[in-house]
Amino acid sequence: MEAIFAVWQRDLIKFFRDRARLLGSFAMPLMFLLIFGIGMDGALSSMLNVSGMDQLSNFNYVSFIYPGIIAMTVFSTSIFSALSVVNDKEEGYMKEILVSPVSRTNVAIGKILGSTTVAVIQGLLMLLFIPLIGVEVGIMNIAKLLPIMFLVAFTLSSIGMMVASTLKTSTGFQAVIQVIIFPMLFLSGAFFPLNGMPDWMNALVKINPMTYAVDLFKHAMLDVNSMNETLRQAMGLNLSVFGHQVRTWEEIAFIMALGALFVMLATLFFNRSE
Amino acid sequence: MYIMDDNVIEVKGLKKKFGDFEAVSGVDFEVRKGEIFGFLGPNGAGKTTTINMLCTMTRPTEGDASICGHDIFREKGKVRESIGIIFQENTLDEKLTAHENLMLHCRFYSVPRDEREKRVSEVLRMVELDDKRNEVVENYSGGMKRRLEIARGLLHYPRVLFLDEPTVGLDPQTRTHIWDYILELKNREGITIFLTTHYMDEAEYSDRIAIMDHGKIIALDTPDNLKKKVGGDIIELVTEDNERARGEIVSKYGKEVKEKGTTLSFNVNNGSEFLASFIKDLDVEVRNINLHRPTLNDVFLSLTGREIRDEVSNGKKKPKFGPHH
Repeated sequence: MEAIFAVWQRDLIKFFRDRARLLGSFAMPLMFLLIFGIGMDGALSSMLNVSGMDQLSNFNYVSFIYPGIIAMTVFSTSIFSALSVVNDKEEGYMKEILVSPVSRTNVAIGKILGSTTVAVIQGLLMLLFIPLIGVEVGIMNIAKLLPIMFLVAFTLSSIGMMVASTLKTSTGFQAVIQVIIFPMLFLSGAFFPLNGMPDWMNALVKINPMTYAVDLFKHAMLDVNSMNETLRQAMGLNLSVFGHQVRTWEEIAFIMALGALFVMLATLFFNRSE
Repeated sequence: MYIMDDNVIEVKGLKKKFGDFEAVSGVDFEVRKGEIFGFLGPNGAGKTTTINMLCTMTRPTEGDASICGHDIFREKGKVRESIGIIFQENTLDEKLTAHENLMLHCRFYSVPRDEREKRVSEVLRMVELDDKRNEVVENYSGGMKRRLEIARGLLHYPRVLFLDEPTVGLDPQTRTHIWDYILELKNREGITIFLTTHYMDEAEYSDRIAIMDHGKIIALDTPDNLKKKVGGDIIELVTEDNERARGEIVSKYGKEVKEKGTTLSFNVNNGSEFLASFIKDLDVEVRNINLHRPTLNDVFLSLTGREIRDEVSNGKKKPKFGPHH
């Protein structure tokens, strides 16, 4: 137990000590928020005004994309944090850990929890943008968001750990992770409402676990119940698979199951490595 | 409990295959309690694989080995608790301070909580890094890092310390310094030391030396006995006509002559007496000649056909001898 805590704490100390990484982690989401948020917002509202749909006058692209960007931050931070495992191999520290009496399973779990925590912190830091962009997010929303963030971060960290266990170089790791993360992000509904897609893309979206994660983030952060049906539909908040409207608990159960699966696989891979 | 026994490490028929390649082909040896056991051999001889097996990092294909009575395969945890390892390469977390590195180690090895600070201070004082304890390791010099690694390896009071090239790449002054610590430690704590090195002078600290080549132990004895086995003293000479000189030495004295560049060498008993008459009797003019007692390097050379130091400068090998070789 203490070893898990030690491995976890080490990653956190290093996270807070690395100022450049801390600041850099803001850059990407902020850029997305500014470019997409401001750029698309104007374009979308002018289109919606032309089409003259009054019911959509409340469509605010910034509030649509904001949960998506927080989700993106949590995804990429958690999956990329496993880079520390590869770095430890490259820099030699992994040897110190592996010759110690700590079991490999505990090392893997400590590392996964470290990445999870870092990702949750990063996600929470994104909430600092709230006053800046004028969206309404209450304390209750944040309370709902927190466990979801943790769950999603844990699952993604396990995937990252699984990949990191099989690779020896950080460049290799980054290449593989980018191939995994970008399609997952762009086909998750984080950046555009999942409406009117061709069937093949719709199929990809529906098998992408991140779709359900993003949906959870949106439902936690947006006041979905006070929206009218047309707006809800336009924002892609009525996620359904085979005509079945997906419920929140189902999404949570699905991501939990994935988390359990990947944490097992990650531990297995890490135990087998070298 | 560990039964008091003279052997701290026992290795029987240890083998390791990687696919078709047999890296270690059945080695047997014992390391006695409290000794410095030198483990030498050319690169690729199987040293690292043997050490990795002893440290429970690599699973043996065949054979048995135990450390402090614990089987290296079945009792991994126990073995890991009883050994300390100073790797050839840096394995510190350079982003953390010395104190943080050491505290992490204590937690990995379950050092009792209330003893941690005391032990950390104790080892830091020993390697004279106490005043640098809160400095990030990144800012340390090479020698300081090495000392910190040695300190860390001792935190959990290991019974056996594996030193894999402990001073490689360090300046002579720092090397001497580090060896002072190691020897003091050995004398004070009675720790058994398992050493690999490419430095001859370092190998001299060993109580016994095993030389490994092609996956086998080809010699195991005290440094003095190993040197005796080389056969007397060594005479090295450069002459006007090596070819003739060589023929003469072979025919007159029946000695086996080795040629290394422009230098001839052969072994004789009672070298000093031999030398006086030898120069007088030799028909070829001698340009220079020297006589020395066999060193570990000579032992190594005669057993493996290579010099210990040849192995150090990987990659940037200078052509030591003329182009005709």
